[in-house]
Amino acid sequence: MTWLRGYAVLYLVFLYAPIVLLPIFAFNDSTIIAFPLSGFTTQWFTEIPNTPALVKSVQTSLIIAVTTALLSTTLGICAARAGAKYSFPGKAPMLGFIMLPLVLPEIIVAVSLLVVLLALGLPLGGWTVILGHTLICTPFCIAILNSAFGNLDASLEEAAFDLGETRWSTFRLITLPLVMPGIISALLISFTISLDEFIIAFFLTGTEPTLPVYLWGQLRFPQKIPVVMALGTILVALSVILLTIAEIARRRGIARAGGKDTGGFL
Amino acid sequence: MFRNSETARGLTLIAPPALYALLLLAVPLLAIFAFSFWSQDFLTIDYTPTLNNYREAFSEPLYAQLLLRSVLIAGAVTLATVVLAFPIAYFVSFHVAPSRKSLWIFLITIPFWTSYLIRVFLWKVILGYNGVLNSSLLGLGVIDEPLTFILYNANAVVITLAHAFAPFAILPIFVSLEKIDRSLLEASRDLGENTVMTFLRVTLPLAVPGVVAATLIVFIPTIGDYVTPRLVGGPNGLMIANMIQTQFLKLNNAPMGATLAVIAMGIVTVLSLIFIFLNRRWLKGRKT
Amino acid sequence: MKDTSPPPPIVSLRAVQKYYGTYHALRGIDLDIGEGEFFSLLGPSGCGKTTLLRTIAGFEDISEGTLLLSGQDMSGVPANKRPTNMVFQSYAIFPHLSVAENVAFGLRRRSDLSKQARQVMVEEALDMVGLGGYGARAAHALSGGQRQRVALARALILKPKVLLLDEPLSALDKKLREQMQNELRRLQRHVGITFVLVTHDQEEALIMSDRIAVMFEGEIAQLADPQTLYRRPLSRRVADFIGVMNFLPARATETGAEISGLGRATITPEQCPAGPLSGDCTIGIRPETMSILFGDEPAPASETRGLVHELAYYGDMTYYDILLDGVEKPVTLSMKNLVGRRVLERGETARISWDERALVAFAN
Repeated sequence: MTWLRGYAVLYLVFLYAPIVLLPIFAFNDSTIIAFPLSGFTTQWFTEIPNTPALVKSVQTSLIIAVTTALLSTTLGICAARAGAKYSFPGKAPMLGFIMLPLVLPEIIVAVSLLVVLLALGLPLGGWTVILGHTLICTPFCIAILNSAFGNLDASLEEAAFDLGETRWSTFRLITLPLVMPGIISALLISFTISLDEFIIAFFLTGTEPTLPVYLWGQLRFPQKIPVVMALGTILVALSVILLTIAEIARRRGIARAGGKDTGGFL
Repeated sequence: MFRNSETARGLTLIAPPALYALLLLAVPLLAIFAFSFWSQDFLTIDYTPTLNNYREAFSEPLYAQLLLRSVLIAGAVTLATVVLAFPIAYFVSFHVAPSRKSLWIFLITIPFWTSYLIRVFLWKVILGYNGVLNSSLLGLGVIDEPLTFILYNANAVVITLAHAFAPFAILPIFVSLEKIDRSLLEASRDLGENTVMTFLRVTLPLAVPGVVAATLIVFIPTIGDYVTPRLVGGPNGLMIANMIQTQFLKLNNAPMGATLAVIAMGIVTVLSLIFIFLNRRWLKGRKT
Repeated sequence: MKDTSPPPPIVSLRAVQKYYGTYHALRGIDLDIGEGEFFSLLGPSGCGKTTLLRTIAGFEDISEGTLLLSGQDMSGVPANKRPTNMVFQSYAIFPHLSVAENVAFGLRRRSDLSKQARQVMVEEALDMVGLGGYGARAAHALSGGQRQRVALARALILKPKVLLLDEPLSALDKKLREQMQNELRRLQRHVGITFVLVTHDQEEALIMSDRIAVMFEGEIAQLADPQTLYRRPLSRRVADFIGVMNFLPARATETGAEISGLGRATITPEQCPAGPLSGDCTIGIRPETMSILFGDEPAPASETRGLVHELAYYGDMTYYDILLDGVEKPVTLSMKNLVGRRVLERGETARISWDERALVAFAN
């Protein structure tokens, strides 16, 4: 199946083409984003910390992303746990509805939240972005945590309970350590999604733009683009590091549970 | 364990995420629906129910054109993404050693997690008149003058979105392929079918659920994409989401924006249901 | 026969009912399990035996009736507060803990124990199950049999009043299972704790138990010691579930029965475990209580004739399906393959010896 392997490699080239260009232009000594390259510079990287609006937007985004990650992972734990362990009336429709943002166009989520917030006369700001991001991140967390909770043998918790632990200490001593890798990857992935999300932030952000909203504004000015490229390079590097940690955590979780790796985040 | 109060415990646990979704998804969606029957004069909302927005949406050619284009572009993106993704999913599932599968999936998912905005912008750089693709092809002597049909039109939107949604298509297909019991393929071979026919008669039908999931998961969000048409679409590549945004943030006509959003959701729902229905019938037809 | 009166009850169930919605899982269970007994709940899957075990453990509450553990009402007492411990079918060894940590798990709340005391207890528990020196091992690196032993040590270290075992041997292969059966029996005698075992394997129940409750559809069909259960089953269903039994149509007479294919036999009241018979009935006879007579060997008891319909050679034994006169379904009998003893061929006629003392009678 050499042609299939060849195709796979070509496909990876297609997937990585834009990302490979990112550092190339980030270090290119020209404001024109095109070949041929004109020379090497680290000027664009040094400009990043000297752009107060950019730094501010990074801070805003980080606060939003961390809060979103914590909130959506917490909600995800509740839903995944309820889904894996209990049966109750209306379970499937409820879980289905919670997962809906996964397939809903983001613009719909964004405008519908906007309409309600404006109708209620609530001011837009970081917290409104957090609300929207938590809504779209929770389904991803559930998808990740579902497999963590689903792989958990119910008799392990029964055994701990049988050996004298309470429900809560059973959760703390058995359940939590065994699903911890899933929780870590849910945190990291919801953090990454929130950090990168544009549409909802675009609609719901107040006077302080998030990083993607700030970048969106910069894309109109050609002279600002190289700094965007530099920032993009840093973001990509950061994402890769975070994702690698998430992947290692996931694999370790599987190894710890003595299971077999079947691959994949979702 | 603790079956006695299972229902109560389950409901207690599901309550926070369910209430969250109720307040921040169900209520807003209902609000959008309600808005679509109201009207707005500058900044004041007139709450008298009216169908004028829908009348206007269906009579104004621009809206119809944007809706149709959104559906066509989303359809093309879906087709391209799923067709391109299937061989990859097949390759990783059937021709990659089990220990290296997660590495491949990891490699496939990485680009997806890197800044969407910047990625789309880079496609503009790649596909532009003086872009990476044109300059490379010119340099290689493949073409004499830059290709213009690849930027600021629907083609560019399709290419960019096919890239953006690749993992969404690959993962569900991969999962459904992974679930196929390999002895079924051996059985098919044993019963006299060759590799190609085994693929067509066993592998492909069993992978249908994954393909269906991939199709829906690409089609539905694509129809509402905003960034890509705006950055690489040019005037003839704009889609309905751009108009919704304009109505809300520029024209201050939230009811019209809401109407367009409702119509777009309606179209997505109807098309998805038709697709699922046809697929069910096709599967049933095969079983009898 | 053994004395069947149980020692003072440590587990006592009275009129226990369990419903899952409309499904009636336990239908009026009355049961006393004595101190130090090795007690088995035996039955096909779905008969309620596991539900009953989980009820005793406290994982399921009972819909009606009472459950006493050493005289105390257990209603409202959760599993972690009951003097029972369980060995799970999947063993439920905590994968993120070492062997020693697994075994010591239940000691966490015992603040009266010093660290050294705990270590000594864990070592003793591991020694007891033959895993001395395995304490530092990672739990997921253990084999199936070793997991089983860790699960035992983990439960027994708490010195429960009752140890509950949910199909503990079903995941092991045949050789290991037989070895563990002996070891479990030995262990139970050694610690003197009441064991309640759930199993669907009748042989396992016979080998290990002091008493067995056979369950069908949420009810106890018979409660007896292994010998009584085997020799005097209360119903055809129990007889069929425990080992192999041939059933022959018969007609009750004043002193016994007229049996198709065998002839007239005297049946004592003791051979009618479910009560006296009249009219048409069924007579059961086990394969090993019949034998083939070779040459002109005299019959030790009664004698009949039959045709070898089919046979299965097992090495140590041969199982014959014999067609008796006037009986449609062939009866099975087993013969030891002794030195010099011939194996019959299909179609041969054989003289069959049987003993009326081995018969059991059932009403139709």
